[in-house]
Amino acid sequence: MTEVNDRPATHDRTGLGFAGHELSRASLDACVKCTICETMCPVSAVTPLFTGPKFVGPQAERFRNGESVDHSLDYCSSCGTCTLVCPQGVQIAELNSQARAVMKADHMPLRDRLIGQTTLMGKVMTPVAPLARWALGNKAIRTVMEATVKVHRDAPMPPAQSQSFESWFAKRPKPTKVPTRGALVFFHGCAGGYFEVETSKKTVEVLEHLGYEVLVPRQGCCGLAQQSNGLFDGATASVLKLCDDLRSSGKDLTIISSSGSCTGMLKHEAHEIMGVSDERLKDVGTRIRDTMEFLLDLYDAGELPTDFLPMPMTVPYHAPCQLKSQGIGKPALEVLRLIPELTVVDSEKVCCGIAGTYGLKKEKYDIAQAVGRPLFDMVKATNPELALCDTETCRWQIEQSSGVKTVHPIWMVHAAYGLG
Amino acid sequence: MRTIVIGAGLAGLVAANRLAAGGAQVTLLSKGIGGLQLGQGTIDVLGYTPERVTNPIRSVQALTGTHPYARIGAERVLAGLAYLKELLPDLLVGDPEANYQLPTAVGAIRPTCLAQPSMVAGNLSSGERVVIVGLRQLKDFHPQLVAANLVRTDLPGGGRAKVRHVLVDFPVREEVDSSALTYARALDDAATRERFARAVIAHLETDEIVGLPAVLGVRDPQAWRHVAEKLGHPVFEIPLPPPSVPGIRLNEALTAKAKAAGVRFVQGTRTVSFRASGGKVDAVTIAVEPAGREFTADAFVLAAGGFESGALDMDSHGTVRETLFGLPLEGADAVPLLHGDYWGGEQPLFNVGVAVGKDLKPLDASGAPVYANLWAAGGIIAGSAGWAEKSGDGIAVASAIGAADSILKELA
Repeated sequence: MTEVNDRPATHDRTGLGFAGHELSRASLDACVKCTICETMCPVSAVTPLFTGPKFVGPQAERFRNGESVDHSLDYCSSCGTCTLVCPQGVQIAELNSQARAVMKADHMPLRDRLIGQTTLMGKVMTPVAPLARWALGNKAIRTVMEATVKVHRDAPMPPAQSQSFESWFAKRPKPTKVPTRGALVFFHGCAGGYFEVETSKKTVEVLEHLGYEVLVPRQGCCGLAQQSNGLFDGATASVLKLCDDLRSSGKDLTIISSSGSCTGMLKHEAHEIMGVSDERLKDVGTRIRDTMEFLLDLYDAGELPTDFLPMPMTVPYHAPCQLKSQGIGKPALEVLRLIPELTVVDSEKVCCGIAGTYGLKKEKYDIAQAVGRPLFDMVKATNPELALCDTETCRWQIEQSSGVKTVHPIWMVHAAYGLG
Repeated sequence: MRTIVIGAGLAGLVAANRLAAGGAQVTLLSKGIGGLQLGQGTIDVLGYTPERVTNPIRSVQALTGTHPYARIGAERVLAGLAYLKELLPDLLVGDPEANYQLPTAVGAIRPTCLAQPSMVAGNLSSGERVVIVGLRQLKDFHPQLVAANLVRTDLPGGGRAKVRHVLVDFPVREEVDSSALTYARALDDAATRERFARAVIAHLETDEIVGLPAVLGVRDPQAWRHVAEKLGHPVFEIPLPPPSVPGIRLNEALTAKAKAAGVRFVQGTRTVSFRASGGKVDAVTIAVEPAGREFTADAFVLAAGGFESGALDMDSHGTVRETLFGLPLEGADAVPLLHGDYWGGEQPLFNVGVAVGKDLKPLDASGAPVYANLWAAGGIIAGSAGWAEKSGDGIAVASAIGAADSILKELA
């Protein structure tokens, strides 16, 4: 991995150089100080330690030339809500992510380097799943982890699985149904490959049920966890390697993913936050669709079969920040409305608190819990047994903090098509 | 029937609600969450002509020529006000025949037509005794300023009020300058309201009306009543500069109604281009990374505002354009568009906008609709400077109702 402790050079147009000098400054002057971002920020709502996106973003940015003088910036969770709600198009969250990367560059905590290594975690944990499950459920081990690498002892950890998605896909009996709609590429992401294997399986089975041939090229990590921790060089290398992986299956195929966060990284974050300007990224970003977005597009085009079985139940649904920031609305809500007798209640809550790896950190854990509390309460009150959410870390956060089993919306579609 | 509304301000939200209620499938596209929460959370219909207006609907009926109200019609204003009061009975009260005259955060008196029930005790009469209560840890509200200006202001009905002020210590979190929203969230909690009432009541004198900053709850529409009951005095809220809690209440309430009616919200990305054929708009595209996203529909409502949102733009050569559809603009060739007399008359630039017909379709120079399935509502309509005459809300509501009803009738 490339070291990132060099000061940004002014001629460097990517990574930290870009972060220190480029992108968001272009949108800075559009800020009219209206405070809308401040009113919607889920973090400053629960703690005075974060002074709010306007103050830390467009205002403080004017005083930055290199490292920030105001370290409250580190309490921003990078959920992206501020950018989403801004009526003037200021890239507030991107500004803050970049400034934080610069601020942390020469004293990056070991913990923040480690939790960005999501593929490594999956590779290590899958062969020893029972042991990993035991270790992550063990209070003594978690206490040691908290003291040494500063990951909070009660923070949600990915559920280790005994079989990776790749292994299932290779070993399963080949589908008997002949594809009628052509081929799609499936991007499972690290979580969908190693931890949320069931979500990946169900996605593939739904797509095959609809008549698609699903191609799964060997694929690496999108680098999102590194990006959100300010490790831009490593993240840039990862995301471009992934683009090559996904392009290896065919140049014009639609790419489908049930990992909402990774999809966001490919669609816009790698470009907008890290300044990655590469035709391969643009190509993949243009072709990739979130699974529920894809199903809604099919429905809008009159091409989605709606012979769903009735599912007489009421389920809470939470739209993750990284899905909302893709500018696609909340497609899961629209698709699930098509299932007879199913009532889906939108949480209408801003954020679950986890924001990727933010809520794992010892010093941020309580804040993340306070951010998510209204959501956890809503989930428990709506259905104590089942909740829906599109991204992995948000599901782990909701499940861990509310005690309610939380799955990807594709599980409902899968069941309603009678696929098991 | 598929419809697309562009813009999440008052016009966009009212149009979306009305269309959904009428059975249309509605997608609302917006760059942010709209600007409603920057306002006072009231509905101004007409405040000045330039004389102070007491009966807004009668003054609207008297307008002629190219004023938006003359194009839209007073009956749409009445329909819009009735619709809003029915949609949000907890949040908006008022009479189209009589403006409220309410104290502002600088102690002036502001005319408005519909107000939140928590504000209307501020409609003062001669000789009434008022105490303005400030909170030491709340920024942007200065009770001494409010009281000192209000006490020397001639009330619209004649006479003056007797006004004094007090400043109360009431921290709600560990910081020296909490925002109005931080207070409002704290006062959504009944126990905090009890504590608040105890802190304030000691400062009140018999028969006083209590003026408070508008922070009495944001989610709980009954929070202000609870405070008034605990104090045993009539209370009124005074809206603050942004973040405006009454504006947030109005935005959240209209948005929630729209979502409940099935409106699909696609937020966070500006609508930047369109595709048309045969005199009709086929689709619009939002600027989502990396390659944009197209939305097709049978009808489109442009409710994206004016200069403040970038829906209208003027370049350095003085050329004004409508930035999405490139619609013909009325008043754009006035000379000069901007005059240098800061304290002088209205700037002609601010009357620039699209001309609309009775059915709210944007018109070309010959008076024909530019596109057969394009409608306009709100601040994009030419012919008035809403903030000067306090007509922007009424124009937004009436034109949104007009556009929605026209769409429902035409595409039924």
